[in-house]
Amino acid sequence: MANPTENPPNREPKYELDIDEGELEEAEDEDDTASNPRTESLFRRMRSAPVPVRVHDVIVKGNEKTKDHIIEAEVEAVIREANTLQELLEASRVANSNLRALDIFDSVNITLDSGPPELPGTTNVAKSSSVEASLKYKNIFGYGDIWDGSMVYGLDSSAEVGLGMYLPRFKALPTPFSSRLYLSTQDWLKFSSYEERSLGLSLGLLSSKYHELVYTVAWRSLIDPSRLASESIRRQLGHSLLSALKYTFKYDQRDSYLRPTSGYAFSSTSQVGGLAPDSRSLRFFKQEIDLRCAVPLGFYAAALNFGVSGGVTFPWGSGYKNRASSVPERFFLGGNSSPVCSLSGPSALWGFSTRGLGPNEARRRGDVERDFVGGDAAVTAFADLSFDLPVRWLRERGVHGHVFACAGNTAKLTENEFRNFSGPKFLETFRTSVGAGIVLPVSLFRMEINYCHIVKKQEHDRAKSGFFLTFSA
Amino acid sequence: MEGDQDTSDFTLVTRKPCFGLPTACPNCLPAYIYLKLAQLPFQLAFNSTFPDSEELPYFESGTYVAYNNEDGGVIEKLEKDGIVNLDSQLQSLPDYLSLKALIVSWLDEALTYEIWVGTEGASASKIYYSDLPWVIGKVLFYKQTYLTKKRLGLTKENAEQREKLIYKRASEAYEALSTRLGEQKFLFEDRPSSLDAFFLSHMLFTIQVLPETSVLRHKLLEQSNLVRYAERLKSEFLEESSSSPSPPLHSFPSSFPGKGSKTKSKPKAEKSEEEKKFKKRARFFLAAQFLAVVIYVSVMGGVSSDEVEYEDDD
Repeated sequence: MANPTENPPNREPKYELDIDEGELEEAEDEDDTASNPRTESLFRRMRSAPVPVRVHDVIVKGNEKTKDHIIEAEVEAVIREANTLQELLEASRVANSNLRALDIFDSVNITLDSGPPELPGTTNVAKSSSVEASLKYKNIFGYGDIWDGSMVYGLDSSAEVGLGMYLPRFKALPTPFSSRLYLSTQDWLKFSSYEERSLGLSLGLLSSKYHELVYTVAWRSLIDPSRLASESIRRQLGHSLLSALKYTFKYDQRDSYLRPTSGYAFSSTSQVGGLAPDSRSLRFFKQEIDLRCAVPLGFYAAALNFGVSGGVTFPWGSGYKNRASSVPERFFLGGNSSPVCSLSGPSALWGFSTRGLGPNEARRRGDVERDFVGGDAAVTAFADLSFDLPVRWLRERGVHGHVFACAGNTAKLTENEFRNFSGPKFLETFRTSVGAGIVLPVSLFRMEINYCHIVKKQEHDRAKSGFFLTFSA
Repeated sequence: MEGDQDTSDFTLVTRKPCFGLPTACPNCLPAYIYLKLAQLPFQLAFNSTFPDSEELPYFESGTYVAYNNEDGGVIEKLEKDGIVNLDSQLQSLPDYLSLKALIVSWLDEALTYEIWVGTEGASASKIYYSDLPWVIGKVLFYKQTYLTKKRLGLTKENAEQREKLIYKRASEAYEALSTRLGEQKFLFEDRPSSLDAFFLSHMLFTIQVLPETSVLRHKLLEQSNLVRYAERLKSEFLEESSSSPSPPLHSFPSSFPGKGSKTKSKPKAEKSEEEKKFKKRARFFLAAQFLAVVIYVSVMGGVSSDEVEYEDDD
């Protein structure tokens, strides 16, 4: 790899660049020593000016499982554009990074070698790959596929068994393709007297930095083994087919996810159900919007975070005005999560229990608890002032304090209730709470210990002033 | 909805109506008939997305709910909770328990067999799965067919013997009930009981829902006094709001002949005799209507000059 005009068209000595761990290091070739004059000469030339080079060939070696085109797709475009040695080194670094991002290779070695004598100024690039097996199975069919089997058990009595597949390249799709076959159960007996069981397939059709498109088809069953459900929950028990497309646009340019101090975020999720030739599948439309804003205040690393979230869901199809919306699609407010982090529609509200506010009904006689049946429209808003604490030991660990206020409400619109809906009444029945607490960022999630004071709530809401622990991931 | 719902409205939640019946589900129909025999006013609501629920039918009134999988069934629960009781003082009668056992075991088994095996589920799809998406309906149908065969103890080896035994027991039950009933209006003491509800439900379902090629249906129609009993109760209690007479039960068209089921020759002689009876009754009814109109018009001070014509069906 030398300028053909400067040197005779002889085979140049081989220079190997060992680029393990994503670091670009100019490692010496095994046969060469640091004092090799040719090596020193090349490095001097590289430091002083671009060294022209032409990539003649990209050779892929060592891949017994992975298809060539998978590797070439990650490498060719960047390597072939390199016109100088410096660009080639940078391109090799990018290509290495791309290949590692596939997460299917044990190691990636890129070797730059000079081309055949008849084509001076050319170099060949060689790579290697291997397969490894675990709960995650990688590259079984050679398409860069990653398979994972998972069993998840949630603290909220939810359980899921799933089998996922990820393909970096799938036909003409511009972004990776993922799919997930799952069997899940979600226990809402304590809050709404029903259990949700789903057997479904979820396909990630588009996944990029800002956009995500997912199609889900699932057989969903709502049952009530407790036999305590209220009337409207009883009417919803049974089987349904969910065939829905969900599009999410997310733009988050806040400086931190766990403790944002500047920037803003916007998210919009639209979901349409009933995309099946069978008119008996679940037909609904759901829209959620989140807006977050973080403003730095310039003292004690303080920042003001505020945000608003809203959502609406409605059935479609014949008789949609009289039909009830499906309970799992409705909005339920309350729970042990912080609205500062989440961008998943109106749900979190400090001080209120999980599914602790909104439309509710009396359960079957003999049970004094009430079922929270969810609302078709919901709005939440919050303001949060975070600041560093005066203790340095806490500051160093990212522990900080915050004071906050939040408000939210949800209402029923379906079954002709939208005729009785009025904005002033909706605002009048807004629940509000204020509080203060300490935030402990714990690696991947945020833990808060808060004292909340409920300023306004409605009859039957499950909320009380006191200390709460919240987790947000 | 926020706020307590404490009304005195009674609601019976069943599976959807079909085949000319207020609810086509053989487990829900007895409860419906029972409430009608007791002349308790109630509303009907439907759940058509839960074919494998054991809780249906259920009765609700405000926050009170009586599920079918509690206390032996919704009828028993209503009696126990004092909502409605047609069986007071009947339980002590010696015949009561034996007849009840006959109806809820032998006849129930025969009907279950006929729906899911004998007629290969021809009517089951319409009763249970027509409001569910096709895939879900099919899976649940096959699952239910399998579970039914398991419950009836059917295997490839014993299928034929079991079928003969089931039909034989059904025949014997029909004969015993026919003898017990005679020409009485009800099974016990000239008053309706839960046994009338169960038996009438069985009869209506067998005659109106099962296809004409059904063996069980054929056996039932041989007992003419039972058919008369069913017609009488149906017209008196189930169609009290209707002014037109119901067609005789056995001539009700069945739209789902079983695929590949054994073919039996139609009882043509009996059919034409029933048809004649129906036409005769229709003529009497129309004549009565005409007479009523004439009397009304003359009493109200004018003889109508219009001629009211009606066509003879012949």
